[in-house]
Amino acid sequence: MIRNTRMKRFSIVSVVATVGALVFSTLPAQAADPGVSAKEIVLGYSGPLTGSAGQVYGKLPGAMKAYFDHINANGGVYGRKIKLVVRDDKYLPTLAATQTTNLVLNDKVFALVGALGTATHSKAYAAASLAKKNVPDLFVNTGFSGFADKAKYPTTFTILPSYAMEAKIMAKFIKDTPTLAPQASFLIAQDDEFGVDGVNGFKLAGHTFAAPATLYPQGGLSAALAEGALTKLSAVPGKPVLVLFGTTDSTATILKAAEKLSLVSKFNWIAGSVGGDANTLLALGVKPATINGILAASFFPDAKDATDSYVSAFTSINTKYNKGVSFDNVVLQGMNSAMLTVQSLRAAGKNLTRTGLIKAIESKGAGFASAGLVPLNFSGSSRVGYNGYWFGQLNEKGELKPFGGKLTTYTTDSSSTSAPTASSYERKPVPKNGVPTNS
Amino acid sequence: MKNIKLKKGLAAVISTALIATFAVVSSSTAQAASTCTDEIGLDGKSASVIKYKKCVGTDYQGANYEIRVPSKFNGTLFLYSHGIRNQVLLPIIPGVNPDGSYSKVRNMPDVAPGRTVADQERNAMDLLGQGFAVAGASPRTQGWAVPEAIDANLNLLETVKTQFPNMKKVVSWGDSLGGHISQSLSEQFGVIDTAVNLHMAGTAKAQFDYAGDVFWLTKVLFDPTMKGSGYTNRFPNDPDGYKEFLGDVTKSLTVLNALATAIAKNPVAPEWPATATNIPASLKAVPVRSAILLLGLLTGIPTQSQTYDASSGPAGPLETTFGVAISPALAVLENYATALALGVVSYYDAETRCSGVVFDNTKTDYAARLGDNGDIFAAALSGKTATNGLLSFLSPLNPAAPRVKGDAKAIECINNQSQYAGKITVPTITVSQTADNITPAGYIQKFKNEYAKQVASKAAKPGLLLNIWNKPPDTYTKFSATGGGVTPAVPTAGTTHFMYTNAQLMTLAKMAATAAKTGKLPSVKTARAAFKSDASIFIDPDYTPALLPQDK
Repeated sequence: MIRNTRMKRFSIVSVVATVGALVFSTLPAQAADPGVSAKEIVLGYSGPLTGSAGQVYGKLPGAMKAYFDHINANGGVYGRKIKLVVRDDKYLPTLAATQTTNLVLNDKVFALVGALGTATHSKAYAAASLAKKNVPDLFVNTGFSGFADKAKYPTTFTILPSYAMEAKIMAKFIKDTPTLAPQASFLIAQDDEFGVDGVNGFKLAGHTFAAPATLYPQGGLSAALAEGALTKLSAVPGKPVLVLFGTTDSTATILKAAEKLSLVSKFNWIAGSVGGDANTLLALGVKPATINGILAASFFPDAKDATDSYVSAFTSINTKYNKGVSFDNVVLQGMNSAMLTVQSLRAAGKNLTRTGLIKAIESKGAGFASAGLVPLNFSGSSRVGYNGYWFGQLNEKGELKPFGGKLTTYTTDSSSTSAPTASSYERKPVPKNGVPTNS
Repeated sequence: MKNIKLKKGLAAVISTALIATFAVVSSSTAQAASTCTDEIGLDGKSASVIKYKKCVGTDYQGANYEIRVPSKFNGTLFLYSHGIRNQVLLPIIPGVNPDGSYSKVRNMPDVAPGRTVADQERNAMDLLGQGFAVAGASPRTQGWAVPEAIDANLNLLETVKTQFPNMKKVVSWGDSLGGHISQSLSEQFGVIDTAVNLHMAGTAKAQFDYAGDVFWLTKVLFDPTMKGSGYTNRFPNDPDGYKEFLGDVTKSLTVLNALATAIAKNPVAPEWPATATNIPASLKAVPVRSAILLLGLLTGIPTQSQTYDASSGPAGPLETTFGVAISPALAVLENYATALALGVVSYYDAETRCSGVVFDNTKTDYAARLGDNGDIFAAALSGKTATNGLLSFLSPLNPAAPRVKGDAKAIECINNQSQYAGKITVPTITVSQTADNITPAGYIQKFKNEYAKQVASKAAKPGLLLNIWNKPPDTYTKFSATGGGVTPAVPTAGTTHFMYTNAQLMTLAKMAATAAKTGKLPSVKTARAAFKSDASIFIDPDYTPALLPQDK
């Protein structure tokens, strides 16, 4: 009797298993991770939509969403539509922690994409237990080199070159540019990990400033402080090089102080990539004549360069899916991150899992098509995206044109004293119709 | 109910001594007689009449107790341990002891938790209405009276068992130090079937290191004339030590008042208090709000409080700056005020209890403690340069910031107050606020870690711990027309050392009673479903609040 019963149970189980296998073999494989179904992939974004940072970066999620809409209209990713859940953290660390937790626990996103800021995201990463939950943390928009620590941030991939890389390349640019090299140079920087990373980069490059850096806390650069610093530096003979390593609102405060003191032409201005967005500077009231001639670093083509194939493709998508929003560097950055995300999802295959996605970026991410003019560096040991810059000069229209008329890109790392090297990188063509087909 | 194992407790030692010494005395003396009355009450929820027997008494160690058993007793007792109460007596002090509550030792028992006395009574009646018995004891000695409270509870359980032999299961619950007592009782004596620990206090070391750090930093940053520790003749009524203690209470209040006034006057760049005489002029250029925040980050005081969410700002030009740079400091200040007031009293009590200094920071590296918070709160700390300047001032090499040398025997004494160790053997539930200023969330993480170690070493069974969290809304600060934060009438959920709602407590009671019966915790899914309509509760086994800096 016992044997019969057991056999009967076994038979039933077998039949159920067989029927189950037949049923499920006709459907796309179901992943166990949250945020993925047969029809949909839910992604999350936490960043500033409002507040002062929202004025600069508020367009990022709209740009990503527009690109995902474009992909969805073209069949999605292996048939799955991408849904982007957006939460406003106002660029505030505590709110970023709350919103990221909400994305993971309440919105049940599969992965995060494009999170913005160092203070905000480092707090959010721990608070939302992203490592424990193995939540892929894609293409974080900060140059803080600390996020490259795989042990501490095992699911994070950054996109921006580090601030240290930027500083090293700036130092090389100053050294190699005959009009700049003989001049005394000075640094005005944000007094946090952003500025410290930059200062370290200049040190690694062996660059010596003529005086200790003028440091100010984030949001703490008053017009009076800026005017005081510029007045002091105006006594320096020649046309000193003044490096501004801060956010765009700080750059604007300094440039407006220079306008007030009639010192715009006194300096050779170099603005870091974070603080050198011309559109934002103009929007913050800096005069077009003031930005004319400012030297700035970038790893993207200029968003106003209609001849660039990526700019052209993204502009079309923006026109169709992001109606009423002007195309600029922030939109370009958002769409590029979205395109990298789609390639990552494709590279992870049809049976999408969080672990699979992370592995796919590690193994294939360096080969993704991208608007960047410098290489991506994703690998099993590197979570760093771009690793280089080119230097340009802003004109009154806010266009960034290659310095000296020729675009030269440099690549480097964050930690060695080795000099940046000119890059021969040739980026991949933009995917046809802007829709990746990689696997 | 399991067999009571009176092996380790102070009660065992004392009761043995009593038997030996007073062998001729009637055995009923060892188990003090209860006075029992038949009572009728109303279930606050359904308004139905509840008949129950109420027994009160004082055990042979002087602990008062109360037992209530309904006529339709279902066999499960809820044994409640209240939180810390003062052993040290305070004079009338506005804002701290306005009604004289702290001018006496209070050892009346409570039988159920609740936000107010009325809530406690309502919850007791609600449980009685469901057929549960409720009971509680309060030892003669208060303060960090963990051994005494455990003994009182053990005595009480014996009394209940004797008078109500149909008692089958015991749920032990308590809040704050009562949670600590509940857990310690559960781990050490095997008499508990389920433990529910509400904003459970950390270990003695953790709590007194927390208090010690707060005092030390208050002293060196804001008033070097404070005693802070090492009180003379540590007895509550001794004139010298007691005067020093009261002097510190007064100085603490003066500092807090000065800080609040300075911030109200100029929230962006508030000045240091006049009592901060050791701070060099170069550091006084740093807004004092940054020093307050640093104090919070170095000690573990939460950066969210009942009024300030560390994000919101008043509408207008200061909105973002307030959220980034001012709100976290104000939150710390608000939390700090309560923590300091309670900490002064309990720390002095601990020195009295153990006859020595129970805190030692001679080897503390405060600069290392800051860790990632130095980047996260860089703007609020006024930048790296200011932060490094303040940290340098705290260096052990700075004679203006002398460290505290603890008394090894006193530290050993306070660490041996029958405290829990994570040896969980019965279903155990913790519920805590994510921004609790008295028992910060990190204590529960430490408890989780200790439990994991015990499981790994097979001293505890796996799957017996469920952590439930009470969190604040995403943003919640309200501002007055003049731009100041408006303190809510009822503390914001998830902040302060805030008691839970009656509905939350009854949901927990239901879970606990079931766990006591089955020996199993509810699944995470079931627990979430039980709190489905409660936006402030979240249950996520992966949630890992930061450990207190002292525990890292």
